[in-house]
Amino acid sequence: MVTMAGNRGVVCATDDRASRIEDMQLTAGVGPCIDAVHSGSPILVADLDDARDIDVSRWASFGETVRDAGVRAVFAFPLRIGAITVGAMDLYRDTVGDLSSGQMSAALLAADAAAIALLHLDTDGDGAFEPSADTRADYRLHVHQATGMVSVQLKVPVEEALLRLRARAFASGQSVSEVAADVVARRLRFDEEDS
Amino acid sequence: MKEGHETTSSGATVQDAGALAETFVMLADTLVDDYDVVDFLHALANACVGLLRASAAGILLVDQRGGLAVVASSTEESRLLEVFQLQANEGPCLDCITGGAAVSSRDLGRDVKRWPRFVPAADAAGFRSVVAVPLRLRTEVIGGLNLFYAEAQPVLASEQRVAQALADVATIGILQQRATHRSAVLAEQLQQALNSRVAIEQAKGILAERNGVGMDAAFGTLRRHARDHNTKLTEVAIAVVRGDIDPPTP
Repeated sequence: MVTMAGNRGVVCATDDRASRIEDMQLTAGVGPCIDAVHSGSPILVADLDDARDIDVSRWASFGETVRDAGVRAVFAFPLRIGAITVGAMDLYRDTVGDLSSGQMSAALLAADAAAIALLHLDTDGDGAFEPSADTRADYRLHVHQATGMVSVQLKVPVEEALLRLRARAFASGQSVSEVAADVVARRLRFDEEDS
Repeated sequence: MKEGHETTSSGATVQDAGALAETFVMLADTLVDDYDVVDFLHALANACVGLLRASAAGILLVDQRGGLAVVASSTEESRLLEVFQLQANEGPCLDCITGGAAVSSRDLGRDVKRWPRFVPAADAAGFRSVVAVPLRLRTEVIGGLNLFYAEAQPVLASEQRVAQALADVATIGILQQRATHRSAVLAEQLQQALNSRVAIEQAKGILAERNGVGMDAAFGTLRRHARDHNTKLTEVAIAVVRGDIDPPTP
């Protein structure tokens, strides 16, 4: 798992092998994790030996190194919330093949949780990470509208605005959705209440 | 496809062949160029409203985490988006996606037991009947196209066929031609589309607050800027969120 914002580097890896591969990607500046961050799309390579895959051929030496390490498939997930990008999570597998739909869902949920956790690490905001809080990707649109509104009200980046929304919800015992609905309906302003 | 006009019992005309052809040509033209998937689906939702005399149209996608997310709608008005979003939990679009087949209600008032939370919300927004058709890719259902009507009315087979054809075009649009041969390209594009939508909402919130306008107007500003500068809607949204640009309101 790498973060591109703040303290750029490898945040965590399950073992030495994964750690070496991540370091190499960051040094070389190419690889699935780099592509996932730049494109904002998951990069799911079920077979690193598939010659038709133009991404793999672009990665050149990265491909050789991971294959030498016994990796046959790689799945890179960007850690992001809309325009907020905090890094990427890479999964390596020593067998060829796609993720099953259950594995895909688990990987996406893990990436969602990691994005929120890294956001707390990377931001100097006052929102402490609450492991109990809902960390699943939130597609209720008004939550993200409220994030944008709060960032203007407080003159802070959206990263911090999102943390302030979550912190407010936690402190008031409401859901993020409820607080966001009040913001969007213009019943609640953060610049009057919080400063 | 039926030629000329077809008339429902309530007197509303359905599509004529010329308008239908024009719409498909317009959508196919978009697919040739480099395009923004959310912008494309927004245009498609609007085409549904025009062609099928619906009051509103929305597109929901499976989020691959066990949920559904609104990715495009013919209206950006928050109250109506909420009615679409409600169907992540209950409603014809959820049933359509779960069952993999079209679901319709000619008179929502009669289906309040079936959808006890959705029907009052739809009613409050002024909708009386609804059609949902699946977005299919081979055996998989990746989302649903949802049409809402202001009148209680029977849903004609011809209308449902056109809706299904438009849903199939939506699926093609989501898949986007990319130079990979990967089997997982659908998952890549689905997640991309869902996240684009989130970035657009963040940008809408910024513009709505900064300019003191509604979400609908904020979306219009984003879209106009994308058109005027020949840029993708999502790229404009990201630039707004990062503070790189501040598109003017008309």
